[in-house]
Amino acid sequence: MEQLLEMVRKVSDKSEIYLVDSRGDSVSFEDAHLKDIEGRIQSGISLRIIKNATLGFAYTKNLMNRKELIQNALDSLKGGVEGLFELPLTSNLPSVDTYDPSIETLTNSAMVEECGRVCEFLSQKIKGQINMSASRTMSRLRIVNSSGTDLSLKSSAYFLHTEILYPYSSASLHRTLVSKTFKKARDEYLNFLADTYNQSEKEVSPDGRKMKVLFLPETIYVLMWRLQNATSGQSIYQNISPVTEKIGQKIFDEKLSIYNDPLNDSLPHARAFDDEGTPCSHFPLVDMGVLKNFYYDLYFATKLKTSPTGHGFKGSVSSKPAPSLSHLCITPGNKSFSDLVQSMDRGIIIAGALGAHSGNIPNGDFSIGVAPGIYVEKGEIVGHVKDVMAAGNIYDILKNVVEIENTLHPCFGGNFPSLLFDNVNVTIKK
Amino acid sequence: MFETLRSMISKATAHYADIRYEIKKETKIVFNGKELFHIGSNSTDGFVIRILKDGGLSSIAFTRADDTETAVRIAEENAVLMARYVNSPVKFAKTEVVKDKFLPDIDEDPRHVLIDEKLQLTQNYNSIALKHEKIATTDIQYSEVIREKYFMSTEGTEIREDLVTTSIGGLITSKDGTLTQNVRVAVGGSKGFALLRNQEEEFEKKTVIALDLLNATRVAGGTYNVVLNPDLAGVFTHEAFGHFSEADLIEDSPTMREKMQIGVSLGNEVLSITDDPTMPRQLGFYCYDDEGVKAKPVPLMKLGVLVGRLHSRRTAAAFGEGLTGHCIAEDYRYAPIVRMGNIFIEPGKNTIENLLAMLDDGLYILDHKGGQTSGENFTFGAQYGYIIKGGTIRNMIRDINISGNLYHTLKNITAVGNDLVLSKTGGCGKGQLNIRSCSGGPHILINNVVIGGM
Repeated sequence: MEQLLEMVRKVSDKSEIYLVDSRGDSVSFEDAHLKDIEGRIQSGISLRIIKNATLGFAYTKNLMNRKELIQNALDSLKGGVEGLFELPLTSNLPSVDTYDPSIETLTNSAMVEECGRVCEFLSQKIKGQINMSASRTMSRLRIVNSSGTDLSLKSSAYFLHTEILYPYSSASLHRTLVSKTFKKARDEYLNFLADTYNQSEKEVSPDGRKMKVLFLPETIYVLMWRLQNATSGQSIYQNISPVTEKIGQKIFDEKLSIYNDPLNDSLPHARAFDDEGTPCSHFPLVDMGVLKNFYYDLYFATKLKTSPTGHGFKGSVSSKPAPSLSHLCITPGNKSFSDLVQSMDRGIIIAGALGAHSGNIPNGDFSIGVAPGIYVEKGEIVGHVKDVMAAGNIYDILKNVVEIENTLHPCFGGNFPSLLFDNVNVTIKK
Repeated sequence: MFETLRSMISKATAHYADIRYEIKKETKIVFNGKELFHIGSNSTDGFVIRILKDGGLSSIAFTRADDTETAVRIAEENAVLMARYVNSPVKFAKTEVVKDKFLPDIDEDPRHVLIDEKLQLTQNYNSIALKHEKIATTDIQYSEVIREKYFMSTEGTEIREDLVTTSIGGLITSKDGTLTQNVRVAVGGSKGFALLRNQEEEFEKKTVIALDLLNATRVAGGTYNVVLNPDLAGVFTHEAFGHFSEADLIEDSPTMREKMQIGVSLGNEVLSITDDPTMPRQLGFYCYDDEGVKAKPVPLMKLGVLVGRLHSRRTAAAFGEGLTGHCIAEDYRYAPIVRMGNIFIEPGKNTIENLLAMLDDGLYILDHKGGQTSGENFTFGAQYGYIIKGGTIRNMIRDINISGNLYHTLKNITAVGNDLVLSKTGGCGKGQLNIRSCSGGPHILINNVVIGGM
């Protein structure tokens, strides 16, 4: 890597090398039986160079041919992509504990046994089909740039994902456990899935209209996706955000505080620096309903003549950094999940969302298939309902937060509680 | 290359092993609005080894040849572990041993077109929308992905095949006050760079739609009879039906297998659906899948009756059905899984005018905006539509998302048009991204569809 940096320095004004190595294994169960075991050993290197205020980028998997990588980066300068930003000099970062060495000795056999144990536990309680997976990953990341930054990070992660499927469907109640190394799934985690499934097993056909809607943590990403889009430095720069002029204004219910929490190392993949070497920090996005900040990477911060906020992350080695809220959280409330259900006179629990990626995301609109949708009447789950759509706009419904669950659950898109809203449009086919 | 691969899999002690080596060459040019955001060409490569041992199947993906011994050891250990726990031993359906080199016949190889010309063409198309004051921004991308694949198995198969995929497309975003609307645009396919030329009309048409959507009315949520255009009919076919024709998705779901038995009547008698990766010039075209099985056309539904499904070697053996050649990987980072190639509803006899007259009152909705399925339930977005009154096109509508039940909807397709259009770009994300996932059909009339309005 040092040799590469030396070669790059000779042909560019500024340069940055990003290196990642990862390996891992995953086991998956379908219908409570082992279906697959896969392994992965992957590496990748990407290179950004700036020459005459123009940005070049290239990537490869193996550092077999340094000259070709550098030539690809030099070739990409010809397009004239603007490269006006400075690469940061970052050091003395807060320490984050991201690696548990015991992950190295976790065997696939142990993950298979844990999945088998969970399937056995649930099979005794429910009739539904059980699918699940467990995986471990170990990765190393290093970022070196011509400003003198040399940062590295070693991470470990263990995931256990459990689904209980409703008949004739792949719609499921599901929840994920994450940690830095193996942890046995607690009864509390499994009982939530089993009890909620059993209560909702019967198919019911209520009428649709405006009603209370409880988004489980696993579906909060539908709402946060729209907010992330609106508060990204890229949307602000492109002038397509509906909240461009609303910093300091109340946009949501005061019960809602939303923040990025990359330094929280109780979960895997905590980060003290982003993929450009900019320091990360606790970052309030919405505080008690008031919009506080937009988030930036180096490129868009420079475009907008503001400071980077440590949110430049790459989707993969082959992509350039872009503004991203990688560790999103919502401040928990003070009601348990069962309290939230009890406070619903009539409504739907959205346990799975279909089509979150469609609809007018920049505008904050969503219109999702609810699968599964769990129907609640008089504070009790009475069944699951099919052919349901829930629709709205986040700038309307996030003003109508009834209650927030008191526990955060790691799931796709962040670390979220369940959120209960009132007056959401629900369409149900009769 | 095959000598090297032979030496690599010779380290395996299993009775079956295969190895796929791929070089993936990508060129990407991205405009955000008027500004060039990215340009460059890169090449990556890697290996996937699969081991079938004692009834256990396992795979490993790796990027350094130096890791071969470790990778083979891990895959063999995992296969043995699989064999110990697996419900029934994995078997592979028998396939012909093939030694072949298949380099597709394409119109203008993008590898021979200078990047300056690609940049110029992308910039020209991007500028079409940006001429208009109410177009806030664009996100238009040139994408060229070339997979140079080498497949070898211990059965003796050796196949060299290239897949060349090019596209120019993305999002056009209009804005009026605080209202933003966006429309997707895409041109391209598997037939070479020539497909990308002379496409100004498509970018102009989509720009007009993005502008018109600023004045369209929001559709009211409810249940409607609808006519879907070929693009949406294709997405319905892919999302709602096609995924459950993929044998691996239902293999271990007793309730879905019960529903999807060959010979059952699932759809209206006007409905016939086929998947055919061998259609030349179409996006989903290929010769051999990533298990070395030759692709073939597969009738899936004939006059409403389920008549076939898509298989890997593993699922064909498990179901006791014939091989189809539909086991495809995204690239060298993944083991192959069952995927659709070119899936489409076969055209019928009705003109679009007939279909709108049959619809009478309802919605005519066009062009997809993402889709997703969850067993019997599906949801997909439409980019725009029109209210139909008395068979006549009236106001434009927006914010349209459709949801439905697969089985009810297949019965509710009551008429099929006489046109057939297949998609030019794809992006199915069943765990891996398949950019050559192609779907299509004619216009179709469906009764009783749930539309989730705002």
